[in-house]
Amino acid sequence: MSLATLTKDWAATSYGFLDASAKRELRRKMLKAIAVPGCQMPYASREVPMARGWGTGGLQVTLTLVNPNSVVKVIDQGADDGVNAASIRRFISRVSGASETWDTLEATIVQSRHRVPEEIMRENQVLVLQVPNPEPLRGVEPNISIARQMHADADYGKLWLTLYEQIVRKGRIMQGAAYPSMVNGRHVMTPSPIPRWDVPKLNMSKHLTILSAGREKRLYAVPPYTRVEPLVFSDRPYLVEDHAALTCRRSGVSGFFMNELPQDGGGSVFEVSDSNLGIKAIDCADGAPDAIGDTWYRNGEFSA
Amino acid sequence: MAYVATRGGEKAIEQAERLFRQDLGTIDAARVETIRATMPYLIDRVMGEASLYDEELAALALAQTGGELSEAVLVLRAWRTTQPRLAIARPVQQHELLTQRRISAAFKDIPGGQILGPTLDYSHRVLATDVLEGKPFTAPAVDLADQPAPARQPSLADWQRQQGLVAPSEASNVAPQDIPDLTREPLLFPASRAHRLQSLARAETGGVLALGYAAQRGYGNAHPTVNELRLAEAEVVVRHPRGTEFSAGRVRVSQAEVTSKEKGGYLELGFAATFGWNEVKVIAAATLDLNSAEAPVGSAVHEEFYLYHTESVEASGFCIHFKLPHYVTFQSILDAMRDAKAKKAAAEAAGDVYVAEPEEEPVI
Repeated sequence: MSLATLTKDWAATSYGFLDASAKRELRRKMLKAIAVPGCQMPYASREVPMARGWGTGGLQVTLTLVNPNSVVKVIDQGADDGVNAASIRRFISRVSGASETWDTLEATIVQSRHRVPEEIMRENQVLVLQVPNPEPLRGVEPNISIARQMHADADYGKLWLTLYEQIVRKGRIMQGAAYPSMVNGRHVMTPSPIPRWDVPKLNMSKHLTILSAGREKRLYAVPPYTRVEPLVFSDRPYLVEDHAALTCRRSGVSGFFMNELPQDGGGSVFEVSDSNLGIKAIDCADGAPDAIGDTWYRNGEFSA
Repeated sequence: MAYVATRGGEKAIEQAERLFRQDLGTIDAARVETIRATMPYLIDRVMGEASLYDEELAALALAQTGGELSEAVLVLRAWRTTQPRLAIARPVQQHELLTQRRISAAFKDIPGGQILGPTLDYSHRVLATDVLEGKPFTAPAVDLADQPAPARQPSLADWQRQQGLVAPSEASNVAPQDIPDLTREPLLFPASRAHRLQSLARAETGGVLALGYAAQRGYGNAHPTVNELRLAEAEVVVRHPRGTEFSAGRVRVSQAEVTSKEKGGYLELGFAATFGWNEVKVIAAATLDLNSAEAPVGSAVHEEFYLYHTESVEASGFCIHFKLPHYVTFQSILDAMRDAKAKKAAAEAAGDVYVAEPEEEPVI
């Protein structure tokens, strides 16, 4: 036995870029986060070769989960070909040897910024959401120490009050994306700035969702089959974006979350936000077999 | 496959990066060495903010980012975090520092003496335009003192402790491996003092200056007096696995101790230290440390506020992330706004005073 047989060849970085101690910490924090759904777990959040705020939290989780057999999909605003999504996906495959995909059904890990794909995810898939601000209480309590205490006490009165005030002032809850939601009946989390359209997809889902904020050094999780309930008053229903009746001008699909494209001379046209769903629909219209899996929404209604 | 037409994105980002790098030209070892040798204070600043003491790597980071400081610090930190921690150096004591500059504003003279060392403090800040006219600028040589100042200087605070002016301090007996390390642990609040000082040590110079200056101008409750400011070199003393202690090299360090007023019969001290020589940073940082104890929660001089907001990599990254597309979140906001407007308009058209009406029973 020699040193050479006991050690690996020198490499500039470890497998998957992060070194073993960083991955160990992340695994422990992920397990803790799964054990206490919706509760924010602080972690060291190492620097990665990408600017903070550009998906470094999601990236650290993905780099910890990834192995050479992984199939990785990365989306930004629903699109696989967004410049930052492309950059992250390329980095992950380069440092891990994992394969890349645009297809939600093929992926084992889906890292996403601001969207949950429209096709239903399965038990053997993990959704990693990039989170800019993990603290649902930030708007009512910018001080993190006080906010932590409020979570510990399940003291969400101020949050309810802001929602109530919106109804009084505007006639409806004005919260756009990042709708505060109660996880497992205990912790309020921000589901990251996904549209309201996507929040029901996290409720009692088959897949594991890990939400990670690299800059703010916090991660939290929604384990499979866990309740995720948007904060609503009993006489005020939860309203998703009014996109049920919109049709994608390119793929012809309707009843999904859309991107609005303003037109010269006024008015707008719409394109489906889940870009690969649109591609599948176009391919299908061109004669390819229908590759679209079951979707959470059917005919614009949440039905999963 | 109409959708795939937008795939040009991947090509565009590659070309955009090439354009940036092409503008910088070829980076070779000579350029790196020139930066290292001619810009020591810039190198120091970058090493401090990256918490990585390596002049050559810092110069390389500056060369490959064209001097974009936040980018340079980011590449260094991203490199640093992949490196193993081989050893934990022995804590540095003030009286062991090889001190090149050491001043106190609190006393006219201090035990060990005021040592000006290298500084531009009393220079006239005149641009040496002659250089551009072809006349190289070479400063006159320094006249050696009759008696060189001692390399090591006592700590002024130690003298103040002997005089009963500063509260006695107790040596902390933390095992080396138990010393908190901010680069491997999250910053939690209230922060341990170790974490606070480590965070300030790697904070962005401009950010620390802005908030430290705010504290000095009156947003804090303590106006600092510079008790002792040092620029020095510290031996990095580590232990060989066989037990021998040895110096693995020297690093330039700066430290500032500021004081203000009496509290509980003693002068309060604020402290800061960092890699490299960076006086403005350590004075501003020590002012923030001094003000921390009584800072109102949520104020700019409260530790949670200044530590979060002077974190160079996080602050710059978040700021530039707003260039990323946000059209999904924006769509979500638009939807709520249009709906609220439509409801209001419909109610007003019907001649009603608009009162939000309960809708059907909730679905969730």
